[in-house]
Amino acid sequence: MPLSLSDPTWYPIASSEDLPFRHVYQGQLLGRELAVWRADDGTLNVWENRCLHRGVRLSIGINEGQELKCQYHGWRYANGSAGCTYIPAHPADAPARRIENRKYPVREAFGLVWSAANDDQPFKPFPDAEAKAWFPLRPLPVNASPDDVVAGLARLAPDDQPADMLPGMAVRLETAIYFVQPVDSGRSVIRGLLAEKPANEIAALRHYNEMLTKLRDRLEKAAARKPAPEPLQPSFEKVSVDLATMPDIAIPRGTTFPVLVKRKWQSADGVIGFELADRDGKHLPTFQPGAHIDVHLPNGLVRQYSITNGPGELMSYVIGVKQESASKGGSKALVETVREGDVLAISEPRNNFPLRRDATRTVLIAGGIGITPLLSMARFLDKSSLPYELHYFVRSGETAAFRSELEVLHGEVRTHMGIGRKAIRKEVEAILGLHEFANHVYICGPGPMLEMVQDAAAALGWPDEAIHFEYFRNDKTIDASSSFEIELARSAMTLHVPAGKTVLETMREAGLTVPSSCEQGACGTCLTGVIEGEVDHQDVYLNKSEKASNSCMMTCVSRARSHRLVLDI
Amino acid sequence: MTITLYDFELSGNCYKLRLLMSILGVPYDIVPVDFFPGREHKSDAFLRLNPFGQLPVLRDDDLTLSDSGAILAYLARKYDASGRWFPEAPDILAQVLRWHAVADDITSTASAARLALSFDYPFDVAACQKGAHRIFRLIDEHLWFGEKAGRDWLCAPDHPTTADIACFPYIMLSEEGGISRQDYPALRRWTDRVRRIPGFVVMSGIFPAGPAKQD
Repeated sequence: MPLSLSDPTWYPIASSEDLPFRHVYQGQLLGRELAVWRADDGTLNVWENRCLHRGVRLSIGINEGQELKCQYHGWRYANGSAGCTYIPAHPADAPARRIENRKYPVREAFGLVWSAANDDQPFKPFPDAEAKAWFPLRPLPVNASPDDVVAGLARLAPDDQPADMLPGMAVRLETAIYFVQPVDSGRSVIRGLLAEKPANEIAALRHYNEMLTKLRDRLEKAAARKPAPEPLQPSFEKVSVDLATMPDIAIPRGTTFPVLVKRKWQSADGVIGFELADRDGKHLPTFQPGAHIDVHLPNGLVRQYSITNGPGELMSYVIGVKQESASKGGSKALVETVREGDVLAISEPRNNFPLRRDATRTVLIAGGIGITPLLSMARFLDKSSLPYELHYFVRSGETAAFRSELEVLHGEVRTHMGIGRKAIRKEVEAILGLHEFANHVYICGPGPMLEMVQDAAAALGWPDEAIHFEYFRNDKTIDASSSFEIELARSAMTLHVPAGKTVLETMREAGLTVPSSCEQGACGTCLTGVIEGEVDHQDVYLNKSEKASNSCMMTCVSRARSHRLVLDI
Repeated sequence: MTITLYDFELSGNCYKLRLLMSILGVPYDIVPVDFFPGREHKSDAFLRLNPFGQLPVLRDDDLTLSDSGAILAYLARKYDASGRWFPEAPDILAQVLRWHAVADDITSTASAARLALSFDYPFDVAACQKGAHRIFRLIDEHLWFGEKAGRDWLCAPDHPTTADIACFPYIMLSEEGGISRQDYPALRRWTDRVRRIPGFVVMSGIFPAGPAKQD
């Protein structure tokens, strides 16, 4: 029977012991080359063996524990999702979330690793599988067609005791089962299992290896006399153009998906941890360090929370929520009404706070609940053995959140407790020091602290592009008193923005679909290009030089100083 | 002491010596020899250093040596204080020499296929590839049973020897000769271990392995 590229059967593709930590195994099933690797958390990944960038085999890449790094240009892909998390040629940008390598299903059972060409069939153990403690033999690659190998194995049976042919190219001979992995039309691997552990393991392994090697020699001699079969021609999906380009920061909102609140706990005084997981136990979408999710709350509000996870930890997201007395009802609703077992709608992760991995010195400065994105960054840097310092400022009387998670980090992690306002600036200045080449600082915390650190860094010679920050919210009072015209260059429309109404609202009323999220100038979703006119920036998303460039604006809060703005929309 | 290596950057045999000297921390100078396309290893000047007309040649003060396997043994005996890279124990020494011979077989098959495909040498590519696969199968079997017995290296159970250095380069460069290592998982794992030896250096076509898992 000729092999089919769409054969949904599960076949063994490796032994469990072929996949030690920090190794990338090169495999093949039905003509398709595979890069197979075990993450440090034990998760097995079976991926198409090519980097989406230039097609180089990922099997020569580096298993970094929770990410696989391509050897060619260093693209990193996340454990579980195969989503791209970092592109060294664009160190300051977050890769498009759609860059995701092709994955195949995987199961580890009976000492073997199993996969299939597609998800059409659930994994089904072979007859009697659960009843025995299987002992895997040395796998033997054979340059002969899978059908010929199955037939050759069957012929090993004595005449009075014919071989038992099992579904999925498997043969049972006495107490052993031999699976034939269809590598390609003319190539196979025999993967044998003994029904129990032999008394002398090495002797048994040698014995079966010798027997199978003899069979292989016979099969290969016979195969050499026949014309070689045409290899299978698996198709490789083209990488779309939008995957190959850098993403827009603005991603339309609206795509939400449900998650289960798996765990809710008190991480520190006033900080509640939430663990959110897929309802069916699948992995969640790829995120990058610094990324946040929108959480749609039971009271209708939408709030942003940073993901605290480390690289490749996609089985759940952990967020930290502050119980604020002056909360607008967002955090309060989460803390007070959401319980374990509830289902929440969240957005896919977005990253407005990307982490560079090319710095010689990375300083992470957190204030209070601002620890959340920086914890994720520290975990990524930690896993890649990159140097970093994490300074966590906590008010007196408060306790540090995520303490046990911070304790296991290898970098320089310091908690600064109860330092007065004036003393904090001195402390921050001492931490930062004068700016040197390839030094970067990431700040997250309350508004006044962010401004103080930015100010202190600037005074020490840190350029804007070395100071990275993320606001939780915009505390500024928005002045919406101006009125002006907006010309939408691509939509060929001119609209009037009256006092009291935002640019975003005006565009929506005119029938345009414009993405937004926080609608307070903090999240960056509604970023829009400005072609002409002077912007009255009121957001906390853009940095000083971006604001001064007058080339973009946040339409949810910012307005015009001139009487007319021309927008690239 | 002043060591000079007569070197061709793309030669796996020269790389064997660069690799061991890097691991042992031995400083050396390089004299580049235009092996391809200049065929300088067949020039009169070079033949005076090595009448066999082969790279590499190594000079240590007044001593001139050739043959990569012999030079590996010399460097290990002279500069490796631990005595592990080219051990005294007769049983291990015999195995090291046995695998030095395998390294030469790898050169005449896998390296020859690479020379044919990348350097225009008039060799029978199919025959070279077939010979390399035959040897790789045997090495994979040796290493697979080695792992079962707690031996991570070709000869000694718990540390690499010059045998590992001698066999490594042309195994690692085999793809350049059209020889896939997909069918040799134990051999691929061993190449990870070699690439994690402290002091390991790369050459063109040989990539580093990431760090091992820290507990």
